[in-house]
Amino acid sequence: MTRYTLWSATKKAALYLLLCTVTVAVCFPLIWALSTSLKPKSEIFATPPTLIPHSTTFENYEALLSGRQQYYQTGEKSQAAGPTPAQFFTRWFVNSVIVTSGSTLISIVVSTLAAYSLTRFRYWGRNMIPYFSLLGYMVPSIIFVFPLFLMMVRLELTDNLLSLVFGYVCITLPFCMWLMWAFMRSIPIEIEEAALIDGASRYQVFANVVLPTAMPGIIAASIFSMIVSWNDYLFGRVFINSLDNLTLTVGVMLFFEGTHVDWGLLMAASVLMTVPMAVLFMALQRHLVAGFGAGAVKG
Amino acid sequence: MDVRLQRINKSFGAVPVLKDVDLVFPSRKFVTLLGPSGCGKTTLLRMIAGLEDISAGSIYFGDREVNRLAPRDRNIAMVFQSYALYPQMTVRKNLGYGLRVRKTPATEVDSAVERVARILEIDHLLDRKPGQLSGGQRQRVALGRAMVRKPDIFLMDEPLSNLDAKLRVTMRGELRRFHLDLNATTVYVTHDQLEAMTMSDLIAVMHKGVVQQFGTPEEVYSKPANLFVAGFIGSPPMNFLEGKIDSGRFRISEAALPLPPLTRGIAPGLDVVIGVRPQNLSFVTSAGPNALAGIVSLVELLGSEKLIEVQIADRKRISVQVRADSQIHLGQNVHVEFDTSSVHVFDKLTEQSVLEAMR
Ligand SMILES: Nc1ncnc2c1ncn2[C@@H]1O[C@H](COP(=O)(O)OP(=O)(O)O)[C@@H](O)[C@H]1O
Ligand SMILES: [Mg+2]
Repeated sequence: MTRYTLWSATKKAALYLLLCTVTVAVCFPLIWALSTSLKPKSEIFATPPTLIPHSTTFENYEALLSGRQQYYQTGEKSQAAGPTPAQFFTRWFVNSVIVTSGSTLISIVVSTLAAYSLTRFRYWGRNMIPYFSLLGYMVPSIIFVFPLFLMMVRLELTDNLLSLVFGYVCITLPFCMWLMWAFMRSIPIEIEEAALIDGASRYQVFANVVLPTAMPGIIAASIFSMIVSWNDYLFGRVFINSLDNLTLTVGVMLFFEGTHVDWGLLMAASVLMTVPMAVLFMALQRHLVAGFGAGAVKG
Repeated sequence: MDVRLQRINKSFGAVPVLKDVDLVFPSRKFVTLLGPSGCGKTTLLRMIAGLEDISAGSIYFGDREVNRLAPRDRNIAMVFQSYALYPQMTVRKNLGYGLRVRKTPATEVDSAVERVARILEIDHLLDRKPGQLSGGQRQRVALGRAMVRKPDIFLMDEPLSNLDAKLRVTMRGELRRFHLDLNATTVYVTHDQLEAMTMSDLIAVMHKGVVQQFGTPEEVYSKPANLFVAGFIGSPPMNFLEGKIDSGRFRISEAALPLPPLTRGIAPGLDVVIGVRPQNLSFVTSAGPNALAGIVSLVELLGSEKLIEVQIADRKRISVQVRADSQIHLGQNVHVEFDTSSVHVFDKLTEQSVLEAMR
């Protein structure tokens, strides 16, 4: 008895130790970035390094969000050296939000409707399309990017946020469609038939019964699509060439250019870049599993 | 409203599932479609609901042909075998959906939902979601959703099959009461002959997509039209013995058993199967021409009765139902006597009842 409890306590302790190690390993870079972004310049290269800043400052965040020049704290002279990345930060942020939400919206609408059609109507190829689309997702995006770029040139969409929206739709739509297809397949057709008998039109059935039931799938697909679009570097790098139209991932790389890298500013930018995805994920993950088709059928 | 099915045929691709179904369900009756799994009951019910195309034939509600009418225009309600509750809606929303989608004023929806919830004793569950309910509670919600709209025709597909045995028995009585309250024509699907016998005004026994017999529970029990109905209805199942007709008697190996007077007209030498229920057999002390000799091979206590299996000549077995206090032992030599008037005679070739054909 005691030996048994001792053994299980040991196992539990080992498990927690393992979990803590993994958590620290995963979180350390994030915490370090946050810490650095809050330090005044004098403390960033202090030896020994400090994890918790002795004195905290929000000057890096202020600089990014207000677009103020921050490189050399000497003022006038550096302003004349041309625009700096910090001045474009808010602009890039908005660009990222636009292309991410635009491509996610298109991907979700198209994939939800496609999945509904594929699972509820009979036509040739309805069983093969999802698999081919999954196959399409597995092709590395580096293979897509140049053909797509040539298409954007033809469409005269280069250096335009729309080109990114379409590009991201191309990489996220196949997987979203496969995901929604798998999800829709698990929704019992009887609940739609019950609604039809209750008096709903086809459209009402879709809006009142299918969509709410498919919501966890829609949220999963949205999160996937947003992460891919938000974190993309390749498309942003190839399709866009003016500073005004860059997205965050490509823009933040410009902080490395020049002879002087302002680490505090760079880390603050990284933290601000992480926040939207983290907040979204925390807000939505509850819906991912909750109430997935529960209780529709049988007992 | 009465429901008439006229020469209904259905096939999925090349596979025929229903063949020439011809039935009339009188207004406000409780009609059961009874048959083994896969015989086409659900398909027929779904055709009445308008969820399945009709390959050939017509369905009438009253005088109106409804073949091409959408489900929502038929004023029907259906309880699905899986219940098919809307998973993201509360019980209240589930119950009221049919009314809301038909643009009923909110106050009316509320009062109708409350009323039905009270009748079904689910008023304390109104704010839960289906996932938080037990099987029995879900079943009542499904029932309530169907009742709330006051349909002309009430369709139920094996609504009790997911419940445990005890609840099933109580629900049988309740469903019957709801039917009387609702004043609608009820079409009920089940594979359980006991459910069909206890609840129905009329039973349509189906097998392989063909209606075998349509009649009251008494009729299908006491005057089965063919071998299938005879074997499917009744528990424990009917005994069947093969033999020949010989001068008004049934000849099986050594014995020649008397048959009901009606059978005198049967051509001698006809190969027949006779059927007799375990309840209509009894043990007698002496051997005689009316009795079959055998050895007891199994004794089963059913509660207030005992089911005795007797091995007779040619390794055939028949079961006899006796009172629980009867002193019958395994291995005992017994003589089994037939209650002549309750013997059913079927043509071995056509499987149809010879007696019913002569009536
Ligand atoms: N959508 C369908 N496609 C093909 N065959 C079907 C379909 N629905 C039912 N069937 C077949 O029709 C027959 C009758 O099915 P069903 O009506 O569900 O039987 P029951 O309800 O009596 O068990 C079965 O053999 C079944 O396999
Ligand atoms: Mg069925």
